[in-house]
Amino acid sequence: MNFSDIRVLYWREIRSALRDRTIVTNSILLPMLLYPVMIWLVYTGITFISGQNEELKSRIMLKDLPAAHLRLKREIEIDKAVELLNPTDPSTAVRDGSLDAFVEFLPAKAELAMPANFSVRITYDESRDASDRAMNRVWDKITAYRGSYLEQEASRLGLSKADFQNFAIDERSVSSDRAVSAFIVVLPIFFIIMLAVGGMHPAIDATAGERENSTWETVMTAATSRANVLVAKYLYVATMAFIAAFLNLFAMIFSMGTVLAPLFGNSSSLRIPLESAPVVLIGAVLLALFVAAGMMILASFARNYKEGQSLISPFYIALIMPVLFLQAPGVEFTWRVALIPVANVMMMIREAFQGVYHWQSIGITLAVETACIVVALRIAMMVISHEDFVMGSYTGSFSKFARERLFKK
Amino acid sequence: MNAPVVVRNLKKVFYDEGRGEVKAVDSINFECREGEVFGLLGANGAGKTTTLRMLSTILTPTAGTATLMGNDVVSNPQGVRKNLGFYSATTALYPRLTTRETIDFFARINQYPADQVEQRVEYLIQRFGLTKYADARIEKLSSGMKQKVSIARTIAHNPSILIFDEPTVGLDVLNALDVVDSIRELRDEGKTIIFSTHIMSEAERLCDRIAIIHGGHILACDTLAALRESTQQHYLEDIFVLFVKAGQEMV
Repeated sequence: MNFSDIRVLYWREIRSALRDRTIVTNSILLPMLLYPVMIWLVYTGITFISGQNEELKSRIMLKDLPAAHLRLKREIEIDKAVELLNPTDPSTAVRDGSLDAFVEFLPAKAELAMPANFSVRITYDESRDASDRAMNRVWDKITAYRGSYLEQEASRLGLSKADFQNFAIDERSVSSDRAVSAFIVVLPIFFIIMLAVGGMHPAIDATAGERENSTWETVMTAATSRANVLVAKYLYVATMAFIAAFLNLFAMIFSMGTVLAPLFGNSSSLRIPLESAPVVLIGAVLLALFVAAGMMILASFARNYKEGQSLISPFYIALIMPVLFLQAPGVEFTWRVALIPVANVMMMIREAFQGVYHWQSIGITLAVETACIVVALRIAMMVISHEDFVMGSYTGSFSKFARERLFKK
Repeated sequence: MNAPVVVRNLKKVFYDEGRGEVKAVDSINFECREGEVFGLLGANGAGKTTTLRMLSTILTPTAGTATLMGNDVVSNPQGVRKNLGFYSATTALYPRLTTRETIDFFARINQYPADQVEQRVEYLIQRFGLTKYADARIEKLSSGMKQKVSIARTIAHNPSILIFDEPTVGLDVLNALDVVDSIRELRDEGKTIIFSTHIMSEAERLCDRIAIIHGGHILACDTLAALRESTQQHYLEDIFVLFVKAGQEMV
């Protein structure tokens, strides 16, 4: 192998790729901009819809409110989002949608209840958003009123809030902030999807694209070995896949940290631990090398770009399927899971994001991925050693090629 | 001194699913002398391209030998390619590279001394009148300009032997003439040129010696004057038809 030649070939590929609209879009712009744009759109949409909802008035009817609690009625009346109505048949009005909630104040159920006590029955239509929202608004109003009323009564009797509260509930989750953030579970999946998307077009460009442009024969007559050409192309595809994955990762972390974290009021749960970087980096490199090899083998059987896309698609799906099945939060990174290519890297990265490192499984993952890469490269070298394949005159599929040539005794 | 190109009993057999074994080239022999244009004249499917692909090491011969500047096409393919510039309708240029980048890339990958590449690139840009288009992408160039860049990239590493496989196919008259003129200039510089064509007038005008190839066999190989004398025909077209018919009768 001649590294000087590989360098010249590699930079030729990269230079061409960076001038190709499809590759730049899929390997650089899409991974970088997809999430900020997506999150912005979703956020804008949610804000718009919630704004619209806030402006909608809830039509409510209060019935038999005890005289001792007229303050509650006043508090409801001053809320601009509530409109008090008085239909003759409130239950029918709720059903036909002309009233959102019918609030009935009933005598207290408990035997020892004080004279001013009451119970409330709210009639609403759960299937209508407006009615559901009205029920929640009334519920919140009454709950808030009950709190302030009890506090007031306790104070009148010379008790503090703590004295009459009896029970206090204090929540504390033992899981870290990172573990509770759902996006950590989703992140490795997008990472792998973007890596595959990022490698797909360069893989087609480096193989079928060369055939389509009639440049394949040009490079085959260059004074360098075919192995050098293959290695340069391979490194180029792997580089583009790796770049796509990392741009996507950074874009996602940035979007989550700057847009979503403030919304959820807990920015620390949306951050990736820095110590996970080496594991993520190794995982990304191995995955990029494997994906590049697999895609290049398949794409090299295509004679044009379209054929390349259709040949790579099954491989793409085969990559994603196990990842999707294993993405459930309950799945552990055991040694058995570590034996499944691609999914093992996804699990390794997911755990690294959570600050968890199962070194035995990580070791198995590295070994399995390295073995897959070696096998894929070996197949690629065997494929390129057949001259009808190199000349593009071979018309069969990869499976036919494997059956007739690679595994023929 | 050995001839720059020596071909001995060169044979290529393909396996075709429908037709079985196909002898594309069947034990051909020829030599090319230094500074001559050697023409391979034949109809489509005669075996011209297969022969030239074996010489350029893209295909491996089934039998026989071929050496270019003393390098065997099987045992030292890189040595062959270092001394060879290969141009054909199927050797296109990278559309997203500029003219300068293209020539630079092919000079470097074909082992031209790295410290002289820049100088060589500038020389070729000026020689082919590409200064105005030096930094334009290939995809933006006209087909005439692309032809010029193609020839420039073929000789980027200053090889001793050049192969032109039907270089004027698909070109208009003016561009075809440009290509023929360029080949003539290269011959005058002392390059050994193998030129394949099925266009008789091109072969007549350009080739110092002509080999008539048909059905994978070389039926005749001589200067145009000698071929005229031996066949008592004036036009190359008539000479060609005569040999091809005789070859078919022989088969």
